[in-house]
Amino acid sequence: MIICIITSFAPILWMTVSAFKPEGEILSYPPQWIPLHPTWSNFAYVLKNFNFARWTFNSVIAALVATIIVILIDSLAAFAFAKMKFHGSKVLYAVILSMLMVPIQVTIVPLYLMFADVNLLNTITALILPTTGNVTGVFILTNFFRSVPKNLLDAAIVDGAGSFRIWWSIMLPLARPSISAVAIITFMSNWTNFLWPLVSVSSDASRTLPVGIAQFFGGQSGVSGSAPQYGPAMAAALMATLPAIAIFLFLQRYFVKGVMMTGIKG
Amino acid sequence: MIGKKRTYRIVPYLFLIPYLFAFITFRFGPSIAGFFVSLTRWNIVGQARFVGLQNFIDLFRDPNFMRSLINTLYFMLLTVPALVVGGLLIAMLVDQSLKGRIVTRTFVFMPYVIMSTVVGVIWLWIFDAHFGILNYYLSFLGIRPIAWLSSVNWAMPAVAIATIWWTIGFNMILFLAGLQDIPNELKEAARIDGASSWQVFWNITFPLLSPTMIVVVMLTLINTFQVFAQVYVMTGGGPAMATLTVVQYMYVQSFQYYRLGYGSAIAYVIFIFLVAFILLEGKFLKKSGDLN
Repeated sequence: MIICIITSFAPILWMTVSAFKPEGEILSYPPQWIPLHPTWSNFAYVLKNFNFARWTFNSVIAALVATIIVILIDSLAAFAFAKMKFHGSKVLYAVILSMLMVPIQVTIVPLYLMFADVNLLNTITALILPTTGNVTGVFILTNFFRSVPKNLLDAAIVDGAGSFRIWWSIMLPLARPSISAVAIITFMSNWTNFLWPLVSVSSDASRTLPVGIAQFFGGQSGVSGSAPQYGPAMAAALMATLPAIAIFLFLQRYFVKGVMMTGIKG
Repeated sequence: MIGKKRTYRIVPYLFLIPYLFAFITFRFGPSIAGFFVSLTRWNIVGQARFVGLQNFIDLFRDPNFMRSLINTLYFMLLTVPALVVGGLLIAMLVDQSLKGRIVTRTFVFMPYVIMSTVVGVIWLWIFDAHFGILNYYLSFLGIRPIAWLSSVNWAMPAVAIATIWWTIGFNMILFLAGLQDIPNELKEAARIDGASSWQVFWNITFPLLSPTMIVVVMLTLINTFQVFAQVYVMTGGGPAMATLTVVQYMYVQSFQYYRLGYGSAIAYVIFIFLVAFILLEGKFLKKSGDLN
């Protein structure tokens, strides 16, 4: 277990240590696990020379808005699939689930053409909308809503509650654990999404964190011949990572639950 | 059931409309449209020209595409067994009532929340040929410095190592969930009857774990086949195309050469491979019924 902990954590620790090393020290050999002259200069360098704050803002807004939309529209649809009878419900549900098998890559070119057509490339809207068509949330919430006992709803109907009311004041509160899991899955997949933001955004002001980091700190970014700037790269990596790790440590339960639920989707 | 009453008839559709709109516009529609684009020759400027299956025929004569396909399968060979077996072993380790199991679980899962491109940047630094920390520690074992990312032979294993580190916690969690569903009484009864721990594992744990195993193997196959971001950051497909993967080739063809039809054809080949993996696995395990 100690080996597991060390192997898992050493790279993260090494990133953290490197981020605080001044330029001359980072390439010192042998490597030092404790910076001799810890400095914030790498962080200052990143914030000054790159649109880092802007990328972070874009990433946070895109992931947050996408998550809110997904929870609302997915829970509405899931409620209909789980508790209402209507023509074509089974076929429709099967078509939706079948998309779990279709990789996201096949949608990229058509989405690109579509967003180019309506002049929405390079916008946060383009980063948000494609996420809202995802299937996993509907699947998880439908499964949960099916487990809600019928008599609970019947009682509410007798009391004169309409469907919308039932959805809002009975189903949503009951589903809080599942909704948290869906929220985390959606947020994380949008937060770390790479291919679509890379394709849909070309202006620096609309970049997301993963794309900005890849393009300015990746192996291809350095001018040929010059060594990549590891200090600033690690500072950027740390700034992009810390919030995620902090959220993970606080909401670990929901993360684990979210993973288990994506696993069940099979 | 709500909706039995006549007045409710329209309500289900009202609940569905917002999601269906998003689903059809951004997921279902583009998936279908992608197929039609793949049947055309289409550079971003100019008209699309219908060419039938020509793109697919060209693909299998395209040495770079075949190269990317072989690279991707090689990447899977390096990662899938390690991710599945390793994930299971770690799950079994933290499933025992040992002190520190929760801490271990937390740490092993932690890398998974880091975004893929950041994973690439971190490991770029670790694998650095001259100043990287990995070569430094390997030197204690008498191993001479390896030019990990600029060597044709080592670049792909390096990407594989970073990927295993990044995603093994995900598989661990899935296996852990499966292990915890197995009733303890079964294992204890077997132990009382004198079964060794290997026998308990092979005859009880392993068979009862097979539904989880199917899911884990399938998700791992699907995810590793779509490897892209780490490669993009760490090697950009090089050196000498040694790490060019299928998804990356699709990206390059579609959005650097703007050969939209050709790129879409690659995307559909990805789809075909995923379906093939799922079918093969179902056949191999002869338990495809469990998938549903």
